Amino acid sequence: MAAMDLDRTTTALLTALHDSANAEAWSLFDRRYRPILLGFARSCGLSEHDAAEVAQSTLVRFIEQYREGRYDRERGRLGAWLVTIARYRVLDHRRKAQSLPRNASESTIVNLDDDRSVGDAYEAQRRLSILREAMQELQERTKTDPRTIRAFELLYYHGMTANAVAADLGMQVQEVYLAKSRVAARIREIVARIEREYEEEPGEWAASEKRPSAELDR
Amino acid sequence: MPDRCAERSEYTEGAPALGCGRLSRDQLELAALSRSDRDVPVDERTVAHLVICRNCVSAVDRLHSEHTLLQEVATASRGPGLPLKERESAELDDGPIPGYRLGRELHRGGQGAVFEAEQIATRRRCAVKMLLGGQFASAAQRARFEREVEVVAALRHPAIVTLYESGISRRGEPWFAMEFVEGERLDEHLRRTGAGPREIAAIMRRIADGVAYAHRRGVIHRDLKPGNILIDPDGSPRLLDFGLARATPERDAHDPRSSSTLAGEFVGTFAYAAPEQLAGDPTAIDSRCDLYALGVVLYEALAGKRPFEGAKSIGELVLQKTTQTPRRPSGFAFERGARIDRDLDVIALRLLAPDPSRRYASAAALEDDLARHLDGRPILAREDSITYVFTKIVRRHWIASSAALLFGLTVIGAGVALAVLYARAEDRLAAANRAQERFKLALTAADPELGEGSSEMNVREYLKVVEREVRAGLDAEPIEVGDLLLTLGVIQLGFQDSESAGNTIRTAHAALADGFAHGELDGVRMAAADVALARLQFLEADFTAADKSYRRALELYVRTTGPLSVESVNTERELASALRELGRFDDALACLERAYESSRRLPKGAESAIARAGIRNGRAILAARMGDEERALEDFRAALTELTRSVKHDDFRIGRTLYSIANSEFKLGRLDAAAVHAQEALAILRLRKGDDARWTVDAALLASKIEAAKSGRDQAQDTPSR
Repeated sequence: MAAMDLDRTTTALLTALHDSANAEAWSLFDRRYRPILLGFARSCGLSEHDAAEVAQSTLVRFIEQYREGRYDRERGRLGAWLVTIARYRVLDHRRKAQSLPRNASESTIVNLDDDRSVGDAYEAQRRLSILREAMQELQERTKTDPRTIRAFELLYYHGMTANAVAADLGMQVQEVYLAKSRVAARIREIVARIEREYEEEPGEWAASEKRPSAELDR
Repeated sequence: MPDRCAERSEYTEGAPALGCGRLSRDQLELAALSRSDRDVPVDERTVAHLVICRNCVSAVDRLHSEHTLLQEVATASRGPGLPLKERESAELDDGPIPGYRLGRELHRGGQGAVFEAEQIATRRRCAVKMLLGGQFASAAQRARFEREVEVVAALRHPAIVTLYESGISRRGEPWFAMEFVEGERLDEHLRRTGAGPREIAAIMRRIADGVAYAHRRGVIHRDLKPGNILIDPDGSPRLLDFGLARATPERDAHDPRSSSTLAGEFVGTFAYAAPEQLAGDPTAIDSRCDLYALGVVLYEALAGKRPFEGAKSIGELVLQKTTQTPRRPSGFAFERGARIDRDLDVIALRLLAPDPSRRYASAAALEDDLARHLDGRPILAREDSITYVFTKIVRRHWIASSAALLFGLTVIGAGVALAVLYARAEDRLAAANRAQERFKLALTAADPELGEGSSEMNVREYLKVVEREVRAGLDAEPIEVGDLLLTLGVIQLGFQDSESAGNTIRTAHAALADGFAHGELDGVRMAAADVALARLQFLEADFTAADKSYRRALELYVRTTGPLSVESVNTERELASALRELGRFDDALACLERAYESSRRLPKGAESAIARAGIRNGRAILAARMGDEERALEDFRAALTELTRSVKHDDFRIGRTLYSIANSEFKLGRLDAAAVHAQEALAILRLRKGDDARWTVDAALLASKIEAAKSGRDQAQDTPSR
């Protein structure tokens, strides 16, 4: 089991953010939460450009509030706090644009009036972000045999059958299956470690009732 | 080779065994995939095993969660926009098939064209077959295609050309990408090399081995012929086009309405098709069709000609295949001054037996006999049985009004029969003669040799051409042509072409009803037309209309043949099925009771006993539908008693009834009796229908469920005594 990097936990990051000179902490925090916020804004129907703006202003606003001491972890989940800020930013954009969402069909767009819908959207983006990070780590920072990874890619990105992959890579079908299982096992390890670094179990969201109020954000 | 070992160690060392070892990794993986995608095929044996094996269930659980995770990862890391596969192909090419660059055309046939191709992403050389004009009519059809392809793509055997991938072209046509094999057709190879009987036997043995492999995985080729067997530069046979095969066809055949999607769309070259395949009865098609085709291939290789060459039409060919014993291949060889061992005669003729149950039990058994022959050991197929096999079958086929017989009779004899039997009055005789002429012309028009037909045309297409030609004469001779059309419609129904059948039968029925209204048609013929229409309506699930048509038919039969005729009894029984589907259980029961009373007064004999068994069976199904399993069991038992009086003790109908009995007993919790009957059913069905037939698999499944329940019960009984 891979050891958890204590400097990478959310608590450690938040503590380090008090120091405005700690660029590394900021960049880690940014790497972790910006993609989630981007995805969230996109799933609210914003264009790529507007979504990037929402993510940026949300992160900046959060750091300001945090340094002002308005957020501490006792008051609720970080994700809930972030998404509440993002939610108002998205509403601002919609108001400005005076138009209906255009990126996605209406049924798939997050209902910003519904806490649960907002929470689910954030959770989904967080999960995607973790999986993406895990995959990247597997590809770039582990000693996994490239053929193992290639077998996974052909199976899942290209939708090839195990037989076709075996023929393609000069492997036995059995080896293709084992490669697949191996990738799954490693991804699972990495995901578990990243989850611990987030220090937020997915289930906590529902239990967390404290959110920043609209006034807090204004 | 130490290097190789080191390379493999990453995969093979420390890999935990999955499940109990009875199921292959493939089977476990498919079972896991099927949890999230119901279209993924899982063979019934796997299902049956999973009922009883906890080890394998937890293996499937594990693989399923693995699969879910990896799919999530793929979605996450693929990023927004097109899936990777589509992005690649969108960037890489704009040809008809995404991801492939098509080269020269290698072959073009009735159903498609084969191109040399390159898979762009991997630069792999392959062959791509496009099914021309094969657009899918529905999403369900397409799903079925994909499901079948997945099963076929899992086949890996040195004698089988591997299927890599398949999909739908930009024009909507299905395509297959497969291994590129340089080679020549089997028949050309044999001609060029002048191979002797020993070489032929050796090649056939390897082919049989490949076919046996596929059969064990539930894949039937259905279209084996020399053109689908390539001999590669090493001299090894490679079987092509398993793409036309489908997974065990009987999967959903319980329901007569859904079976239309499973079979009957048989495509093939008539000369190599088994008679039951030509007859189009979907429930009759199993792995033994491939054995028949191998018989024709072997025969042709040995004799230098096909077993039945004189036929002028498909109908005649069917008739020959079911009624004639072909000459021994050694006879032809002798004329050429060559010698062929008697063993090979016996093996070839055994494979050509018209009754599937008289062929080899499996391709593996064929492979074994060929191996015995090559080793100089005695073969297991017995020579003295060959004449028996043929004479016996001919008789059986004539007795059973099988679809094959119907087909043969119709195409060859219907014109004549109609003219002679039904043209009672002089003026009708002239009309009948004209109808007969028209029918002959229609047959010629569709004949591959003489008319517009093609030798790769399937039976449905053939029937359509015949139908079109016959229909043209409807105005001139409505009664005679109407009769012909009705028969053709019934055949089309047999081929599961319900769309054409519906059209044909309705046209025919209207013409005949008109004739009947004008007093030009007798009641028996009108009743037969009504029954045909009713069956069509039943298959279309229009039970209200079917009910009406059956009633009309019944009334006519009672009026003309009397209530105590097999026709009346059987029509009343069928009427009960329509009523049952309408939920009118009391009426259905009353019909069955009446039919039963009448059937007891029919002349004694097998026909009336089988009719009674049918009625009992109908009553049992009705009782089960009404929730009275006890009563159902009683009726199934009564059906069994009737059957044992009229058919042999191991007839497949007995096996089927035993299965129903075991099923009822199982539902009633009588596990010990159920276990015994399920085993008996299994033994008979295995013998009569083969290991892979739907009924056999069902019986095996039931037997395993019963065993599981029994062991659960035994454990429960142990607990209090502890």
